[in-house]
Formats: sequence, C-alpha cells, structure tokens
Amino acid sequence: MKVRTEGSSNYEYVTARVRSRKKKLFDEDDYRKLVRMGQGEIARFMEDTEYGTEMNALGTRHSGIDLVEYALARNLAKHFDDLLTWAEGPLYDYVANYLRKFDAWNVKTVIRGVYTDAAPEAIETDLVRTGEFSERRLDRAAEAGSIEEVTEQLSPTIFGDPLAAAMGDFESEGVLVPLENAVDRAYYAHLLDELGRTVPNSPEGLYGEFLEAEIDFRNLRNALRIARSGADIDPAEYYIEGGQLFDREELRQVATNVDELVERVRASIYGAELSRALEELEAADSLIRFERALEAALLEYSSKLSNRYPLSVCPVISYILAKEREVRNVRAIARGREAGLPVEEIEEELVMT
Amino acid sequence: MLETTDIAAVALQDSGGSAVSKEGAAALAVGLGALGTGYAQSRIGAAAVGAVAEDDEMFVTGLIFTALPETLIIIAFVTIFLV
Repeated sequence: MKVRTEGSSNYEYVTARVRSRKKKLFDEDDYRKLVRMGQGEIARFMEDTEYGTEMNALGTRHSGIDLVEYALARNLAKHFDDLLTWAEGPLYDYVANYLRKFDAWNVKTVIRGVYTDAAPEAIETDLVRTGEFSERRLDRAAEAGSIEEVTEQLSPTIFGDPLAAAMGDFESEGVLVPLENAVDRAYYAHLLDELGRTVPNSPEGLYGEFLEAEIDFRNLRNALRIARSGADIDPAEYYIEGGQLFDREELRQVATNVDELVERVRASIYGAELSRALEELEAADSLIRFERALEAALLEYSSKLSNRYPLSVCPVISYILAKEREVRNVRAIARGREAGLPVEEIEEELVMT
Repeated sequence: MLETTDIAAVALQDSGGSAVSKEGAAALAVGLGALGTGYAQSRIGAAAVGAVAEDDEMFVTGLIFTALPETLIIIAFVTIFLV
C-alpha cells in the first residue's frame, strides 16, 4: 500500500533536524540521576526538560507517575508527527511506513481494551497518536462495542484483511494472541513490500538490511521467550516473514534448544553485533538482560548505518529508535520507583548504549 | 570510406574559428560555476535551516557553511579578467 510519492526527498533538512533532536535526548548522566530520584522529583525533573509542555498540559487531568507516562506518550507522538510534516517524497513514505508501528500498537491497545470492556475514554488515553491513522478512526475504533466492530472499523487499513482472517481463530480459541500476531505480521509484511527490491549497499539497501535485522531480532526474541517459558507453543506461529536468520522450519527446531540457538546466532552475520548480548545470556542466564542487550545492539546498528549513509532514511530511523528507548527507559524508571524497586534492578531494565 | 572522411574534414574546416567567442566562453564558465554554487547551496542551505530551527546557536555555523560554495563562483568570476 503506497502512501505518497511525489518529488524528491529532502534528506538534508530532515536529517539535520533529526540529528539535532537526537543529541538532546537524555544521556547516561540523566538516567543515573533519574534512577535515584523519588516520584515527586521525577515529575519535577521532567517539567524542566523536553517534556515540560506536555507535563503542564496534562497536569490538570493526571498526577504522579500516570502524568509522567501520559506526557511521555504525547511527547513521542508530537515528535514523530513532526517527522511526517518535514519529510517529502520517498523519505515521507519510508518514515510513514515505519511509524505504522504505532498504528499496530494502537490497534493492539484498542483490541485489548475492548476485550476487557474498558471504557472508551480509558482506551483513548492509552493511545499513542502518531502513525497513519486519523484521530477519528482511532476514536471510532476505541468506541466500538465488540472486537468484530473494531475489525470492521479497521477494514480499509492494512490491518483489515489479516485481522478478518484471524477472527476465526480468535472466536474458536477465545484468546487475543492470533489477532495480535496478525497485526504484527501485517506491519512487518508491509514494511518490506514498500521497499521492494533494492541495490545492495545503497541507502535503500542498507535500510532494507536494517529492517531485516529488526525482524530477525524480533524472531530471535520470540523464539527465546518460548524456549525459556517451556510452554507448549508452536514458535512458527509467531514467526515474522522477511528476516534472513531463520525460516519458519528452522525457528521451530532451534526454539527447543537454547544452546543451539546461541551457537546459530554466533555464527550468523549478527555474531559480532550480538556478542555482548549472547555473553549476557550465557553468563547471567537472564532473559531480561539478553533482551535489553538485543535492543541496544539494534540501536547501535542503526547509529552505525546513519553514519555510513548520512543522506538517507537511516538517521531518521535511528532517531525514532532512540526516542522510543528514551520514553521506555523513563517509563521504566518512573514505574520502578513507584513500585519501590531497588536502583540496581531498575538499571537492569534500562537500555543504554 | 576515405572520401566521406575527407569531405567531413573539409566541412569542419569550413566552419572555421570557434562557435563561441572568447568573451562568450568566459561568460559560460561563470554561468556554469553559478549553477554549481546554486546546487551546492540549496542542499547545504536546507540542512542549515533545519539545524537552526532546532538550535539558534547553529545560525553562524550554518551561515558559514552555506556561504562556502560561494568560492566556486568567485573563482569562476576571475576568468572574466583573464580574457
């Protein structure tokens, strides 16, 4: 599904702005300070930063850690909407496609909300309003009374057909997993479709490589989670097409044996990038650490790409990832402090490069 | 075969001199230099405006970098005095 392709891309303008914004994100020192703050202090600290506008705007409706969380989501949406306003031509297509990630996120939020009979207002506050969907479509979906109505509302979008196809499974099993998988797969399938065939080592080619890496990492994470949980789930059900590390069958085989999986990854093209993550996995035997290391590796990979091809979509993607991490880190800190977790445990949850 | 090349050679000699006068060639050089400058400045300018929009302190740096390709046209301008 094409979004819009007219004229040429304005890489110079967008990358200059994006790089400047990326530099303003929180650094390690800020995180170190944040982790040691109390709840009130975190809110006050946030008011003096990037997030001040949102904190003040939402201050009347929410308070405490909820306020921080909603301010984070709104700020994220604002920044990513900015990207779409700046970008032109093919660059707009790439960014819009990548930001459908939040459409997928919103669809999942709505489905979960409707499934648990949450009030439409409660669902709406949890949405991240960026991506391709219009405000109205989101509001209408949130107001739907049943999952069937949600799928109907979404039928003109890329998620429509996959969701409709997954409805049968949902009805027979009564769990949300088939629907959520359908959403994820629809997102990744369209991400690669749009790119089409590319010349290797060109900016588009590298972007394709990055997307493949993201899909591979996601498959890897899912496989490990299934292997670890020991649950009797077929990992192939969660498989996302488009990666180059595993195919569906291979994933099914390696997911039963963690050691084999680790060996397999070490020998692959991601071996060097993931060596730290793999060491964490073997040494600490901790899945959380491995997942964080995986995310850090993807972040580093995207920064590396953005230096190799400065005038491409890579810096923008790298910024999107970095901003997402920041929001997730701050959220983890705020929630962790609220729950009274010790500093070390919160630090383990953070992704830092 | 030989005849045709001979005829071609004669025809070429006939047109004589150059199509563009010395001054004209110099003007072309300046014009092409200006085109190059414009192309370079449009891209640098876009990046500079983007950087300034995010951070006012980038204004001077941005201005310097935007003005750098100006050297191209200034050097091309010298050709005017050489002919």
